Amino acid sequence: MSTLVRAFVLVVSGALVGVAGNAARPHGLKVAAFAPPTQCSGAEGHAAAEVLQPSEATTLCGQAGVVIADTRPAPAFAEGHVAGAVHLPCDAGGQAAVEALAHFERAHTILVYGASTDDARAVADSLQQRHPAVRVALLGGGFQAWSAAGLACASGPCNECKASNP
Amino acid sequence: MSEPARQVERARQVERARRIVLAALRIGLGALFVVAGVLKLRDPTAFATEIANYKLFPSLAPYLATCLPAIEIVAGAALMVAPLAWRRAAALVTMGLLATFTVAVVYVVRSGINVDCGCFGGNSGPVTAWTIARDLALLGAAVLIFRDKERYAH
Repeated sequence: MSTLVRAFVLVVSGALVGVAGNAARPHGLKVAAFAPPTQCSGAEGHAAAEVLQPSEATTLCGQAGVVIADTRPAPAFAEGHVAGAVHLPCDAGGQAAVEALAHFERAHTILVYGASTDDARAVADSLQQRHPAVRVALLGGGFQAWSAAGLACASGPCNECKASNP
Repeated sequence: MSEPARQVERARQVERARRIVLAALRIGLGALFVVAGVLKLRDPTAFATEIANYKLFPSLAPYLATCLPAIEIVAGAALMVAPLAWRRAAALVTMGLLATFTVAVVYVVRSGINVDCGCFGGNSGPVTAWTIARDLALLGAAVLIFRDKERYAH
């Protein structure tokens, strides 16, 4: 038996063990139903989040059951974000995404924003797909428009997120 | 001791040192693969998310997350304890995996995508130039193990 054939046998046997092990686990990965928690572009499906201008969106602030999510990269979030926003970058890693998504469990409205309107659209659409019963809104103009309108911002790491959001 | 005898003795010592280094590399690399596979198995959904974030083949993420950890464990264990012919095959598998991982991390670093590595399951830290250097070093070790033909003569 050649080395190549042996290598193939190792890969196939490993894959079979993986598939069998996953099937046997009570909390294994649901392969067919898997969808990433957030997407950076090209969210599939028909879910589309509504767009709210900053003046409309500001009425949501402080309401129970409203969660605000910032999809921009960490440095931009640290420089300043909408007060009380949860950081959910479009490429949030597994554990970080799971922790951020925990905020949405009891939310009835999720307001999503990026640097611009389109910057956060894919994440908003994928959140709407994931939570069809929740109102997912996109901040028109993104953080730039919010900031230009002189609405409440915070700076530095979002220490208050967990306390202020349900 | 005559000069030829000294040369023979020196050659023996060099060969002994080479074998010790290669055995250490083989066992170390095998153990690393086993540990990496086991850590990835802890949370397959988080691992699938990490793979999807690389944006190379996101639709394959759940399948890779299901198969890859077990393949790493099988290849790593074979590299450490299997018969000689199978160890070389395991070295070939680890070479293939590390080459694939290196291409993936180079792609995200060049694209400026901020992504968690997922190399050892969740919370493995972000992909940086250091991740590329580490993968290249491990790939080099796998190549050395694979090329050590005398040890794998069959």
